[in-house]
Amino acid sequence: MKGTTPFLKIFTILVFLFLYSPIIVMVVFSFNESKSIGVFTNFSFRWYEKVINNPEVWKALFNSFWVGAVVTIVSLVLGLMMAMAVTRYSFSGKSILESLILIPVIIPEIAEALSLLIMYIFLNIPLGPVTVIIGHIAFDVSFVTIVMRARMAGYDKSIEEAARTLGANEFQTFFRITLPTLYPAILAAGLLAFTLSFDDLIKTLFTTGPGFKTLPLIVWSSAARGGVSPELNSLSSFALSISFLFAVFRLRAERRLER
Amino acid sequence: MVVKISFLLTPPLLFLAIWFYAPFFIVGLYSFDMININRQIVFTPSLVHYSRVLSWTGAMGIFLRSLYFAGVTVLLCLLIGYPVAYYISFKIKKYKDLFIILFIIPFWVSFLLRTYAMMSILDERSFLNTLLTSLGLIDSPIKIMYTDAAVILVMVYDYLVMMVLPLYANLEKLDKTLLEAASTLGAGPVRTFLKVTLPLSMPGILAGFLLVFIPTVGEFVIPELVGGPNNYMVGNLIYEFFMGARHWWIGSALSMLFIAFILSLVIAYVRKIGERGLAF
Repeated sequence: MKGTTPFLKIFTILVFLFLYSPIIVMVVFSFNESKSIGVFTNFSFRWYEKVINNPEVWKALFNSFWVGAVVTIVSLVLGLMMAMAVTRYSFSGKSILESLILIPVIIPEIAEALSLLIMYIFLNIPLGPVTVIIGHIAFDVSFVTIVMRARMAGYDKSIEEAARTLGANEFQTFFRITLPTLYPAILAAGLLAFTLSFDDLIKTLFTTGPGFKTLPLIVWSSAARGGVSPELNSLSSFALSISFLFAVFRLRAERRLER
Repeated sequence: MVVKISFLLTPPLLFLAIWFYAPFFIVGLYSFDMININRQIVFTPSLVHYSRVLSWTGAMGIFLRSLYFAGVTVLLCLLIGYPVAYYISFKIKKYKDLFIILFIIPFWVSFLLRTYAMMSILDERSFLNTLLTSLGLIDSPIKIMYTDAAVILVMVYDYLVMMVLPLYANLEKLDKTLLEAASTLGAGPVRTFLKVTLPLSMPGILAGFLLVFIPTVGEFVIPELVGGPNNYMVGNLIYEFFMGARHWWIGSALSMLFIAFILSLVIAYVRKIGERGLAF
């Protein structure tokens, strides 16, 4: 449709504007000197100073990182095992297994999080960092498995056979051949797992114990309590830059995978 | 080989069984009235909580509202996303990847932060409202926060990518010689679009539908942040029963019904189209 091209072009530009402007406004106003969220008066780091001087923010950031790290490692190990089982072997009940892997991705997180909380309370498990980590792994494993399964579909087994023929045992083959070959896929899946954990709100909100907060929890509680504020703008922009960094890493890992 | 398979499968499956499936089993027990107030399991299942939920018009109203919100969101995502996917796929020759990455970048920002960023322009005191008022385009600030419109608008903003990506992937695979064939055979641009392009992009539309509909119908954070009590959705209702009213039995029955609804949607989709396109 030749005549519609200019219309499509303008429309696409408008959509891009719609996508970018809220984020840009948020970031710009985080540098505003005045308390206003509607009128930009002067450039200032005032609100960032407030955020940086808030020990709660640093604690939450630290929590987000170490929870994310533990979740990523465990999810990678479990996800890799599952992906290897479904891509290398055929066994009865495999399709049922694959649906069982897919379900955690589909179920709305609120239902999942509340059910987990009910079980924690039912079994008298004290809430805290461990219950949060378990909750994150419970859905991260599925994401990791799905990503790894897709990447491992074209995996060439012959080098493993070659290693075995040359006298390597099963463990040597796995750690010297399989793991290094899969490294780009593991990196991509790991970054995804970390991002999912780092950004997660709902699971964390319902499975955390008193006093244990992650960065999204702080953003959530101040947004729910006080709405938009310049301080929250700067905290959000700060959090945004971290998610952004990890997204860039992930993109680069995926690019390397495609090559 | 059996040893190897079970070595690989046991740890992840055990983990999922205990920390993902067992919680739903317990919620299931609650929903059938099989756990009493002292947290003891009783073997007298009953449908009393289900019948209460199903006969309660308030809950049904909120369920219908969730369907309506999610439905409108899907429709808007399609109306906004289709032209964008079409333009990038058909009209951009060079730098196609760049355009797609530019489209995806805002979605690198976490879901919660995107929602907050939308709040920062929907707010009555926001830059957007100040700008529009000072330009004389509006007389007084738009009061959109805490309305149905705010919830839907933010959902469109947060989930648009889930519509555009499957659509784009679908349009990219579409055999473009078919379009030339249609026009050689005398079909005009509108007819070519309606009779060739649109039917061939149906799989992308359906995948986008599911990928937007499922998370939005179960949305909890957005109505909580930009909606008022009159804009609550199923997720908020379940939350209220578990955390507010502490009536876990009704909350469980609601959860089970809601999950059954979502799963039946997905099963219908997988039966008809297959698993492809779902796992992004």
